[in-house]
Amino acid sequence: MNLERIPNEEKLSLCRRYYLGGFAFLPFLWLVNVMWFFKEAFLKPAYTEQPQIKSYVKKSALGLLLWVAVLTTWITIFQHFRARWGEVGDYLSFTIPLGSA
Amino acid sequence: MRKMEKLISINCVKLLITALFYTCVSCSSVEQKIYVELNDTVPCVRLLNATHQIGCQSSMSGDTGVLHVLESESDLDWILNTGPHPPYMVIMETAFFSRSVMLRMKNSSRVAGVAVIVSRTGLAENFSPHTTCPNQNTGVYSAKYGPELANCNVTTWNPLGNGLSYEDFAFPVFALKDENQTQVIRKCYEDHNLRLNGSAPQYPLCAMQLFSHMHAVTDTVTCMRRTDLQNRFSINPEILCDPLNDYNVWASTRPLNNSAKGQTTNESFVIAATRLDGRSFFWQEAPAAEGTVSGIVTLLAAVQALYPVIQLAPPPRNIFFAFFQGEAFDYIGSSKMVYDMERKEFVIDLNNVHSMLEIGQVGLRNGRDLWMHSDPISRMNSSSVEEEVSDMMKNMHSIAAGLNVSLDEPPASQPLPPSSFQRFLRARQIPGLVLADHRTSFVNRYYESMYDDAENLNVSYPPNLSPEEKLVYETEAAKSLAEVATLVARSLYKQAGGDDSNLNNITADPKIVAQLLYGFVIQKNNSWFQSLLPPDLTKKGILSSGPPQFYIGLGPRTYGPVHSVTLFVQHIMANLTGTVTNLTETQCQKPDDISTENKDLYAYFWVSGSTAVNSSGPFCVRAPVRLSKAMSPAFERQEYGSQDYSTWTESRWKSIRARVFLVASRELEMLTLGVGVAVLLLSLLVTYFLSSKAELLFSSARETPTTTY
Repeated sequence: MNLERIPNEEKLSLCRRYYLGGFAFLPFLWLVNVMWFFKEAFLKPAYTEQPQIKSYVKKSALGLLLWVAVLTTWITIFQHFRARWGEVGDYLSFTIPLGSA
Repeated sequence: MRKMEKLISINCVKLLITALFYTCVSCSSVEQKIYVELNDTVPCVRLLNATHQIGCQSSMSGDTGVLHVLESESDLDWILNTGPHPPYMVIMETAFFSRSVMLRMKNSSRVAGVAVIVSRTGLAENFSPHTTCPNQNTGVYSAKYGPELANCNVTTWNPLGNGLSYEDFAFPVFALKDENQTQVIRKCYEDHNLRLNGSAPQYPLCAMQLFSHMHAVTDTVTCMRRTDLQNRFSINPEILCDPLNDYNVWASTRPLNNSAKGQTTNESFVIAATRLDGRSFFWQEAPAAEGTVSGIVTLLAAVQALYPVIQLAPPPRNIFFAFFQGEAFDYIGSSKMVYDMERKEFVIDLNNVHSMLEIGQVGLRNGRDLWMHSDPISRMNSSSVEEEVSDMMKNMHSIAAGLNVSLDEPPASQPLPPSSFQRFLRARQIPGLVLADHRTSFVNRYYESMYDDAENLNVSYPPNLSPEEKLVYETEAAKSLAEVATLVARSLYKQAGGDDSNLNNITADPKIVAQLLYGFVIQKNNSWFQSLLPPDLTKKGILSSGPPQFYIGLGPRTYGPVHSVTLFVQHIMANLTGTVTNLTETQCQKPDDISTENKDLYAYFWVSGSTAVNSSGPFCVRAPVRLSKAMSPAFERQEYGSQDYSTWTESRWKSIRARVFLVASRELEMLTLGVGVAVLLLSLLVTYFLSSKAELLFSSARETPTTTY
């Protein structure tokens, strides 16, 4: 969808929907929100709805960073310690590599 | 007109070209020009038990290394320290296959894999990859029973053992048995990898790639848990490992009702037992001549000696013959039989067992004594056991005197050697003896190794004999084993309460012993084995060339669920203890309806019969010989971490193969890659340039139409 052709109120409601949707454990919505509305929020000349769009984009970026931090930490710990956890590690895994710890 | 002619001539040309393609085209595969595939590979695989993994593992896409032949100490130094082209694939001469060298390879990161040349030239005086104390945790001696005798404190049974089979290697180890293949590899090495005047060889170098990626890891508990998870939650379940299993062979002099479990009558049994299996460092290689065949041949010959006399003058007690499979791996077969006996799920019960005689390694006697090993703890604890054992020994002494076999007892405080009898003792203190050719440690210098073959057992034939002549030629080894078999048979008869007057009629036939020995250590594809087996088994190729291999392995196999050696022993027993019937093939397979035949007491075998020209063809034999499952009770009880029962499993794998090819230097590889990437980028650049300047470059074609007016 080309944001150029949409009226500003619809842009705001779209941005809000993506922002609220990200709370349902969907950090990718926040990522899309940031990428898509970055130009609108920070690089376009000012218009009435822009401050609100800007705040949504900032909050999405914050939530995204938090998710990235949590996921990176968990993934690092899991990849490093899974073999040592024995039974627990196996029950947590979806695919277990063949032939190596 | 002209157009038609042109069309016809074009079609003719096309037809001609297509015809040429069919006549002179040939497939020239690039892969075949690069790689030389090695057939007949003998890998080392991964085995797991409750706590450890042993064996070898390769990477998923194989391990590649530059070939280097290990013939001297300087080669070892080159491989481990100074060679400029690591990692190396070591071609190890026989003399270097020892614990110290292999452990140095294990600790080095410059070794990609090892291929061991298997030959008798350069073989050390002794080589046993097994542990020094076989089956030390699953025998009878433990902290609770004879703690001072446990863990080989008193006698180290296999002092020459280097424990290589029980090490865990992170690189593949293959065995090169085929001399022609070894020659191919050597030639490639000599052409490309030799060091000239002490300087390093130049690229391209000869390299070898070994594939033996094993699926299972850590231990049996983990592997079975993961298999279980896969089976429950995965769409394409992958089974990672399988428990080692096969069948025990058992028979009795008086037929037993197979469908009745747990004998309740007061019948008393004398058990005569031996083991059926062996192992070595490599997968499915186990000639086990002295370790296993000597026992099998002796017991079979004893059965042959006993049977005629037993038909005429049956002794009061029943004699139960048992061949246990899987004894190398913590007593799989005997622990299963004892387990079933304890829970009254087997035809006989521990209450019915009067005594036991086990035949251990008896092949390397050579005029030396035979030794009767007994358990000192049970003899000390129970006076009835002491009495019975002394009786047994006395009987055997008197029989041996008549036979000119020297028999003796080892020191009274010495424990039993590793034997199936130990598992029976764990359940109940029954009197018993283990017959062996060693007083303390094993005399077998190649215990559980690839070199425990006919030469180790001193089975040699004069030159220029045809296979048929060799089959019946009575070697010294055969005569020696025949004497032992006669001793065993007479002792069993006496032990079963038979009359002394019949003893002299019990003699093992050296010809049968010679045939058994030939079939089990030299060549299984012989006329006698062929005549004993069913025709459809021989058709499936169970009698391939060479001696049989005694590694227990897993079912199913190409010719059925049962191991070939188990089938051989089963059918030989059927031949020795059975009677010929005149049933037809269909009747033989389903004798339920025939009134004179009893499927509960006997098993029916359809055998080929003699392959001679004037023979009558296949016939049906009725014999009291049965198979019983030999899988460790740990798997039945799902206690995969069990310390009491065997927990050995063998890993699964996708493909095991090896190939030899030439490799280029790393610099050349990087250069080729770099040039390729550069060409890609250049072409992208040119395309971009062309497309952006398209109007300029291709404008002349478009200008002209506008100016025609």
